[in-house]
Amino acid sequence: MHISLKKELKQSHIGKAGIIILVLVITLAILAPFLSRYNPGQQSTASLLSPSGVHWLGTNQIGQDIWSQLLYGARTSLLVGFGVGIFSLILSVLFGISAALVGGLYDKIVMRIVDAFIVIPMVVVVILVAAYIKPDLPVLILLLAVLSWQGGARVIRAQALSLKESGHINASRTFGAGQLYIAWRHIVPDMGPILLVEFIYGVRRAVFMEAGLAFLGIGDPMLVSWGTMMRDAMKFSYLDVWRWWLVPAGVALSLTIIGLTFISHATESVLDPRLRGGAVA
Amino acid sequence: MTIKRNLITYGIALIIILVLNFILPRIMPGDPLMAIYGDEALVAMTPDLEAHLVERFALDQSLWQQFYAYITAMFQGDLGWSYYYNSSVLQVIFARLPWTLLVVGSSLVLSTLLGIVLGVESGWRRGSKTDRVMLTGLMSLNGFPDFFLGLVLLIVFGVLLGIAPLSGALTPYSGLSGLSFVLDVLKHAALPVAALTIAHLAGGYLLTRNTMITVLKEPFMLTAKAKGLSQNVLKYRHAGRNSLLPVITMTGIWLGRVVTGALFVELVFAYPGVGQLTYQALLSRDYPVIQGIFLIVAISVLIANFAVDLLYPKLDPRVSHAH
Repeated sequence: MHISLKKELKQSHIGKAGIIILVLVITLAILAPFLSRYNPGQQSTASLLSPSGVHWLGTNQIGQDIWSQLLYGARTSLLVGFGVGIFSLILSVLFGISAALVGGLYDKIVMRIVDAFIVIPMVVVVILVAAYIKPDLPVLILLLAVLSWQGGARVIRAQALSLKESGHINASRTFGAGQLYIAWRHIVPDMGPILLVEFIYGVRRAVFMEAGLAFLGIGDPMLVSWGTMMRDAMKFSYLDVWRWWLVPAGVALSLTIIGLTFISHATESVLDPRLRGGAVA
Repeated sequence: MTIKRNLITYGIALIIILVLNFILPRIMPGDPLMAIYGDEALVAMTPDLEAHLVERFALDQSLWQQFYAYITAMFQGDLGWSYYYNSSVLQVIFARLPWTLLVVGSSLVLSTLLGIVLGVESGWRRGSKTDRVMLTGLMSLNGFPDFFLGLVLLIVFGVLLGIAPLSGALTPYSGLSGLSFVLDVLKHAALPVAALTIAHLAGGYLLTRNTMITVLKEPFMLTAKAKGLSQNVLKYRHAGRNSLLPVITMTGIWLGRVVTGALFVELVFAYPGVGQLTYQALLSRDYPVIQGIFLIVAISVLIANFAVDLLYPKLDPRVSHAH
């Protein structure tokens, strides 16, 4: 498992492109207040304006500045994405490693539940739950995390099972190391690259889900989101407004997901070394 | 052995689905009757009806008895009553289901077949320029959410070029029949199917390409080449066929993704399937319909996954002999 992730990413053009895209989106999200003159929630009577020097991308149906909505939308996407990514990774590590180390009945029960969740389509569960509880941002992050850690737990468990039998861990056991110590000091650090791959999967899925749910109109209506922008803009697609309203929101969302996809593809070779290297016959 | 394990997995999944559906309206603050039946029911509510509903759901009894009442009703095909449509939930959903099945079925078949062919070709040329272009291109397409792809197709082909219908599944009041009816259906389904196919192409492509790369290194490929077989036979009969198996195991999972993708894409094209029904039910808080859709979609995906699991050992003898 001693593969340098940095090297892996540097060697791959796709990986580099992904990182550039993601850094760009993060920068725009952080600098949002400095790059736009308007508060994204501020309404005015000047609705559905065309782009001009005052409103770079015009205004929407209730007179909000579309350019600042686009920038602040990046914040929502990234916040949900990274929030869910971290929480679901923590759950994956917790259940994956404990299942591998404890084994026996506990392992069986955890893995059966994991498998069961994997075959249930997650989006319909989220729609059902969200229809009842109308989640705000923190609740949405928790909800998505609780429903998306299962795939990662399976991968992490498999990896922990093979690490468990490796020499240095057996050695530390003979020195009297406990299960918790082994999990935290040996298994987790050895799994660095895999954890990163799983994290990026989680982020990508969450960015996608947040936009999709907002597009369906589930969730906090006050939240500035690319999904909400597309949903609102769709109702006016018979006008020319889609050019500066719908398309920028859709492209921003797609670009973010593409950036994450590129990074995860470049890091995937960590999970499957057979995919590495140059051409074969 | 594996079948027994699968049965347990699907059993647990089914229990999770049923319990979620049962418990959610009942843990909501306020009147559970409201949460079970939605806003619309309040308008129709009379003391008689309320008494009937309380009895029907055993709401004055313990949670276990309520669950029992819920399960028995469900096994009798009673998914509840939609006061919004004034019709049984099962009927409301079944009226929409054929359209969704049409779109989902065609997209799943098209995206899988196309993904396999592209994956075989790309994996065969691994490391070449064609391979890199295909890989980058398809992965970028994979980043486009299906509803955005749908919107782009709608604007390009519907609004700008004006060659595709903007909404619906049929031309209203046209009274078409026979061949012209079929053509009309296809014309309306073309863009939603295209959006879903393109959005889900990458799954089959990436998986086939990855397996191709491993299969190409196998000794039997060298033997086949030494026999002097033609390139197409090598590519499809030997490497391609062996790359097919992982794709089959994934079709159940992909079905789930295409179905949920269809929920969003139907909304874009105002296509009268289950997706649009979900959207309307969310707007009108028609909880019985939302619950019914959840149940039917989730259980269909379970059944499809189970069918794939049963089919798989028959296709790959190595699996059934492994035990």
